[in-house]
Amino acid sequence: MKAETGKYGLKRWVGLGLIVAFLLCARALGLTPGGLIPPDAGHWERTGEFFAAALDPAFDYEDGNVPDDADPIWWKGIKGVFLTLKFAFGAMSLAVPTALVLGFLGSSAWWPEPCGRRTRVLLRSVYLVSRLFMSVIRSIHELIWALLFLSAMGVSPLAGMIALALPFSGTLGKVFSEIIDEEARDAAQALKAIGHGPVQTFLVGILPRATPNLVSYSFYRFECALRSSAVLGFVGIETIGLYIELSHEEFYYREVWTYLYLLIAMIVVVDLWGAAIRRRLHTSTGGCAI
Amino acid sequence: MPSAFRLDNVTRRYGALRAVDGVSFEIKKGEQVALIGPSGSGKTTLIRLLNSMLSPDEGSIRVFDSDLATCDAGALRRLRTTLATIPQHLGLVPNLTAIQNVILGQGGSRGTLRSLRDLLAPSRADAVEIHTILDRVGIEEKLYTRVARLSGGQQQRVAIARAIFQHPAALLADEPVSSVDPARARDTVKLLCELSAEHGFTLCVSLHDLALAREFFPRLIGMRKGRIVFDGAPDELGEEDQQALYDLSDEEMMADA
Repeated sequence: MKAETGKYGLKRWVGLGLIVAFLLCARALGLTPGGLIPPDAGHWERTGEFFAAALDPAFDYEDGNVPDDADPIWWKGIKGVFLTLKFAFGAMSLAVPTALVLGFLGSSAWWPEPCGRRTRVLLRSVYLVSRLFMSVIRSIHELIWALLFLSAMGVSPLAGMIALALPFSGTLGKVFSEIIDEEARDAAQALKAIGHGPVQTFLVGILPRATPNLVSYSFYRFECALRSSAVLGFVGIETIGLYIELSHEEFYYREVWTYLYLLIAMIVVVDLWGAAIRRRLHTSTGGCAI
Repeated sequence: MPSAFRLDNVTRRYGALRAVDGVSFEIKKGEQVALIGPSGSGKTTLIRLLNSMLSPDEGSIRVFDSDLATCDAGALRRLRTTLATIPQHLGLVPNLTAIQNVILGQGGSRGTLRSLRDLLAPSRADAVEIHTILDRVGIEEKLYTRVARLSGGQQQRVAIARAIFQHPAALLADEPVSSVDPARARDTVKLLCELSAEHGFTLCVSLHDLALAREFFPRLIGMRKGRIVFDGAPDELGEEDQQALYDLSDEEMMADA
């Protein structure tokens, strides 16, 4: 009884501590509820215009200077959506194999058993270095990577793709290594016990065992990559984000909403597709007693 | 008769706990032995010591005349290819088919590239042999069914088929019937003993169910708290031995409650 009181007492203190921390942060940042309200009539008007445009997206350019032979806005938007898709797909094509290698090096399920002292030290070092590498590359946001690569390589599709692929390799690799270690250990042990080598155990036992979850998580990250790829437009890489940014700068809010609706539609379609695939993968391995 | 396993004063510790404590025994080639004892008595650790997945802290283990202490990693792997193991949770790959899981039984002796090829396109000879084995264990129609779609009992048969396809000199099974109903458990233990007699391999099975062990095995090794408290034929196992094996002391009953 005493222990329970102690447990709840601790929870209460932690809760109180979090509230105090929030209030201190809000005070340090100068947050007030008034900050949500536009400061003057001009801002009120612009906010109203922006949200009103949501009900009336553009089917034609608001900018009168667009040449007559330019693509219609909806076609430009669709092309922007496909460019965004291409970036996300390209980045994931680089990130998934890299993450598989990093996930392999950053996991221990395939290590030989029993593991000699020298082998253990070597494998442990490789494990720690790959974990550290994954932490470093994912701790820097893709926008910062993009700015770094753009300043080094200029505005090029490859720079954008690598900027996306790097942090995604880190995040994917970390989760891959955890999936490998947590879910595939039983299959790995069974194969090692009948003479399979470490790499062989990984390729024929761990990888097939972990594949549904690896694929499922990769799909989720692909959805994230789509959103990030759109955001890369804000630093000048040609995705739908660039079109949104350019129209927004000129206050063409109806155009902004046309692009936003196309982006949302694409993300909803990919989300539904991903969910269907995850459901199918779950069904194919569901009900298993293993 | 030559020896399959010989343990001399083997101890294995996990921290302060002596999971296996000064155990010595010999299992002859072709012998059928059941390891019996309550949960936590050290049966799983002993199986893992026998298949060389664990090293002893003290004592020596000889498996088919090889001293495990002197074997390097390569020698251990070669030795394991002759020792089939069925772990408690079977260790199958659920999203591979039955034939793919069974073919991995020979992966240890075939190497990585051959195993990958076997998974993608099993040879005709292997397919025929695996079909025969699955027929023998009673699930030949499940050859190309994904293991995840099989029942617990059928998955158990796939694990047995994988062990048989390995052409082992000994088969070690850790609580192979812990997750099936009593009727199926009896069938499985019977099948393991029949297969051992047909193929001539040594059989060592850890079992919870004393009645099953007494019915099918000519030799029982009883463990309690990491030590051997009985080693003999089923009819030698008296009331006192059973009490020593399974009866909880007052202290343990308090701990369980």
